[in-house]
Amino acid sequence: GSSRNVDHSRAEGDLVINIKKATNAEETAPKRKHVRSCIVYTWDHRSSQSFWAGLKVQPILADEIQTFKALICVHKVLQEGHPVTLREAQAQTGWLDTCTRSVVGEGPRGYGPLIRAYVDFLLAKLQFHRHHPDFNGTFEYEEYIALKMINDPNEGYETITDLMTLQDRIEAFQKLIFAHFRSGSSNECRISALVPLVVESYGIYKFITSMLRAMHANTDSSEALEPLRSRYNAQHYRLLKFYYECSNLKYLTGLIAVPKLPQDPPSLIGDDSAPSLPKRPVQEAPREPSP
Amino acid sequence: GESVRMASLGRGVMRSVKNMKYSDIQVKVREATSNEEWGPSGADMNEIAQLTFNHNDLLEVMDMLDKRMNDKGKNWRHVFKALTVLDYIVHSGSENVVNWAKDNLYIIKTLREFQYVDEEAKDQGANVRQKAKDLTALLQDDERLRAERKNRSHMRDRLSSRNDD
Repeated sequence: GSSRNVDHSRAEGDLVINIKKATNAEETAPKRKHVRSCIVYTWDHRSSQSFWAGLKVQPILADEIQTFKALICVHKVLQEGHPVTLREAQAQTGWLDTCTRSVVGEGPRGYGPLIRAYVDFLLAKLQFHRHHPDFNGTFEYEEYIALKMINDPNEGYETITDLMTLQDRIEAFQKLIFAHFRSGSSNECRISALVPLVVESYGIYKFITSMLRAMHANTDSSEALEPLRSRYNAQHYRLLKFYYECSNLKYLTGLIAVPKLPQDPPSLIGDDSAPSLPKRPVQEAPREPSP
Repeated sequence: GESVRMASLGRGVMRSVKNMKYSDIQVKVREATSNEEWGPSGADMNEIAQLTFNHNDLLEVMDMLDKRMNDKGKNWRHVFKALTVLDYIVHSGSENVVNWAKDNLYIIKTLREFQYVDEEAKDQGANVRQKAKDLTALLQDDERLRAERKNRSHMRDRLSSRNDD
């Protein structure tokens, strides 16, 4: 094959160092380079077991900032790691539960409620992926075989409903983060938790838009989809507000491009005012083996 | 000024000392993806693209580009130039470059959030982020990639036939 040259003898040790640095006690964002190394590790080894094991040997739970940074790190690895990560994470819900019990009440620096809300969200995300194993961690349309859902409108309806429920969880969590900003602080650590939420909510939004369009084009009864349409419209306006608030956070806009949504929800029927959509994935021709 | 020139001269000397342990191909890729403010030149990239049609040379090229892409923030030029060279050889190199890039897409994809702010508070990471974003999008769009590769080879054929006249 054409995989990269990985020094396996060094990889495990490097991973532990990267986890340690990503989850140190400084009230800052987990450094991208360390988080990236954890993500790359899961692809190089097609496994996330050492990542979870590495998290557990660190004395993370004794400190609320370290716990919160570990959760951000977990979220990013779930999003961008090798697909096996989402499957292996299903066995880690116990560890996530332990995180919620590590801080009593508000916590000295107010991370208690954020930690509990983050764990709730991650458990909801894992539950979604358990029921819908075809999705990747950031809900990229390009990587999903969408035809299946269009052929089965009932399954499509249910999937969109579940995606919308997850979107509502993101909405609730991001509001809580904003509510916990502290004046006189850069809030960098809290803001850095918004980054994966922006990425994920936009992935879900684009996915729902594509799927609802496809379903409208493939079904005779537009009436049956009315509940989904009205919920879609409501989520559009809430997302617009979320992205607007994010676009005012200079620290955040330096990390990622915050998506710009049209003022009003795009039409799901016909192509009139619709934004351009990613193309349906085409069946790839089998690749010739490299010599 | 003079000190900048001297510093870059010093870096060049250091690089040639380090290069002694590398093969000619590795040196070529290292030079094309160095910390100098200029380059890589079209001629350098074209030469590297031609190397990828030999399988062993291809492995050496990709291995060095991989190292450069995974370099730290301070060496953001290594990362940026490695992406630049990769973009070039994805267009003009052998089909196996495309296969390598697709198989290891996560290396490129995860650079879309690359961060580096230099001593003058300038966000140098932005260059890398944009390049990684463009290249990821291209590698995920088979139709466009095929069209762009075809286009590039037509252009090359036209240019070389003109030289033969």
